[in-house]
Amino acid sequence: MMVELLAQTGLNAIYAASYISLIAVGLVLIFGVMGVINFAHGELYMAGAYAVVALYADLGFPFLVAIAAGLVFVGMLGLAMERALFRPLRDNPLGGLVASIGFLMVLQALAVMGFGVRMEHVPPVTQEVIVFSDKVRLAVPRLYVILAALVLLSALWLFLKKTRFGWALRASAQDPEAAALQGISITQTARIAMFIGAGLAGIAGALTAPLVSVNPHMGHSVIVTAFIVIIVGGVGSLEGAVVASVAYAFVHTFVTTFWDGVIADIVGLSLMLVVLIVRPTGLFGTADRA
Amino acid sequence: MFRKFGLSMFSRRRFLGDALAAMGAASASGLTTRVLASEKMIKIGFLAPLTGPVAAWGKPGLDGCQIWAEWINAAGGVKLADGNYTVEFVGYDNEYDPAKARTGATKLVREDGVKFIMMLGGDTWPGAQPVADKTGMLFSTLLPSDLGPDTGTLLAPAEVHPIYNVTGVEWLAENKPDLKTAVMCAQDDALGLPSVATYLAAFEAAGIEMQDAPLLFDPATTDFAPVVTKLLSTNPQIVCLDTCYSDYVHPIAEQLFQQGYEGQIISCTADFYDQMIEKTSVEFMEGFVFQFPDFDDPALNADGINFANPNKFFEEYNKRHPGEWGAVSWEYAAIMDLWKAAAEKAGSAEPDAVLAAMKEGGKGLHAFGEADWWGKDLFGIDNALVGNWPVVVIEGGKARIKGFKSIPEWYAKHGDLLKKHMAAYGQMWDQRA
Repeated sequence: MMVELLAQTGLNAIYAASYISLIAVGLVLIFGVMGVINFAHGELYMAGAYAVVALYADLGFPFLVAIAAGLVFVGMLGLAMERALFRPLRDNPLGGLVASIGFLMVLQALAVMGFGVRMEHVPPVTQEVIVFSDKVRLAVPRLYVILAALVLLSALWLFLKKTRFGWALRASAQDPEAAALQGISITQTARIAMFIGAGLAGIAGALTAPLVSVNPHMGHSVIVTAFIVIIVGGVGSLEGAVVASVAYAFVHTFVTTFWDGVIADIVGLSLMLVVLIVRPTGLFGTADRA
Repeated sequence: MFRKFGLSMFSRRRFLGDALAAMGAASASGLTTRVLASEKMIKIGFLAPLTGPVAAWGKPGLDGCQIWAEWINAAGGVKLADGNYTVEFVGYDNEYDPAKARTGATKLVREDGVKFIMMLGGDTWPGAQPVADKTGMLFSTLLPSDLGPDTGTLLAPAEVHPIYNVTGVEWLAENKPDLKTAVMCAQDDALGLPSVATYLAAFEAAGIEMQDAPLLFDPATTDFAPVVTKLLSTNPQIVCLDTCYSDYVHPIAEQLFQQGYEGQIISCTADFYDQMIEKTSVEFMEGFVFQFPDFDDPALNADGINFANPNKFFEEYNKRHPGEWGAVSWEYAAIMDLWKAAAEKAGSAEPDAVLAAMKEGGKGLHAFGEADWWGKDLFGIDNALVGNWPVVVIEGGKARIKGFKSIPEWYAKHGDLLKKHMAAYGQMWDQRA
């Protein structure tokens, strides 16, 4: 019985780690390259979910098409944010933060105007469940999220480590001025970072849309979790974001299952505080943004 | 989708056509306004969340009230001592924010001159209370936990949340006596906690054992798999979803389905249960017990139901707002029935006269039958209208009323249990104060 409970909780935690890491890595990438804390990141996640509502639930397109559209649509939103908000405020990180808060409200208002205030109904993609035992099960839509996170984060890692664009991004993140002197276009790297970062949030929202309550305010809860994760992992560290996502998801899920959801929140925040006290730069962070 | 962003609306011909039609409509409505201007009108304030996460318990109520007003006005309006008055609702979106509730209450009283203000209540009542104290305005709330000895002009005339939840448990114990164990989860907020205390009392009264302490979760929770895993870890016969918002009830039910649960579910609400069925199955949802009927239910046509044309109201509501019928769609309109009857009895729409007429004799006609003004024991004041409440069960994919149970009768037998659990959760009026 206890083994089954542990196994089911472990599966739950893997799922949570998957979608949290997609969101957190995107947030870190944007901060790392552009130096902007994007408060509208939760609303980009929301926009991805609404793309699925519009295309899959309302217009009847295949789920995969809706997900791909969600990624591209939210990526384009990211590009628009870069051009209209962050580029003019490149030398003013606080201004970028404030602008992102404003954009957050705009996106919420647009969602309310277009879809109403209520949660949207997204029909299940499939009701198939993988049954490991009577008490250990994994719904196939949750498996999709896990697999997508594995594939996308692996692809991002390869992109950053093995391609010239990836090197340019990392160089810009480490030292924008030196990167510019080497002929790297800061504007171009910012665009790429924004597209990828926003797209990751969008695809997280799109993939989880059938599993959560899609509403205009759904971004609030994930952005809080994402901030905890990137602070624990080290602001600006992609590896840190992934490791912290896994750690946070496991701690939160196990504490919820064995104690209480409210206590799990307290433990999650305490984890962040302990890391800040013991290692103010986070688990993988350095004194400089990297 | 694109309910407000019409995709094909921007051809020039269409635009011109629409513009002409709009001008015509504007002229017509101007004429209507002039005609109505000669009539006497009473304004009623609707101070509730119309946007934001709690809007589902505000906006559908205003939609229901608009139908109510149209029907009442068409039938001659409210008949007072000095003639007939039409009714108009003035909405104010408080976004479930106390500060905005205070601003809204002030605006409705001072600028709009309303005679009565309906609220969802809860977190927003403390914002509006100073306005009630200062002006003597009559307010209503859906949440009697707002009541206290110093809230003389606040009434809870539609629902005594969460006390009516005892009727569902009582029905379950009578009709499925083999079910003896339960677990429960709830969001940790002002709506969830008193409901937890109520369900605990109801289960104890029914001899149903709680297998674990109620599992509380943060209202910001989005993934309910860990919550459900914990609930199911003790193999309960009943899973109770307390008064969770729809945003939680749906994913929790879906998780129960995905994690293989096959037992009984009881919940305060099951708004949009057709969507839950689509996410699970008709078989899974069979026997789901909750407290809010569809108003096309034949049981609502019985004698003693004090809601005019419930089936027609349901039909009209769904015609105007397809798929949006929810727990509060009828409740504010039901409050207006009570208010209208009291105003006509008093011959006046003034708040103090209506309040006195409404509470005269200590009884009132609640939507679900004659009821008592009650609550001193629990809320410190007899300002909650309490009587029968329906128990609703999903059968073959459709919600049906299985019976009406008496809340006062339950309380007479088990009131001490309720007070015990309310006190344990700090939910008695003197603790809240």
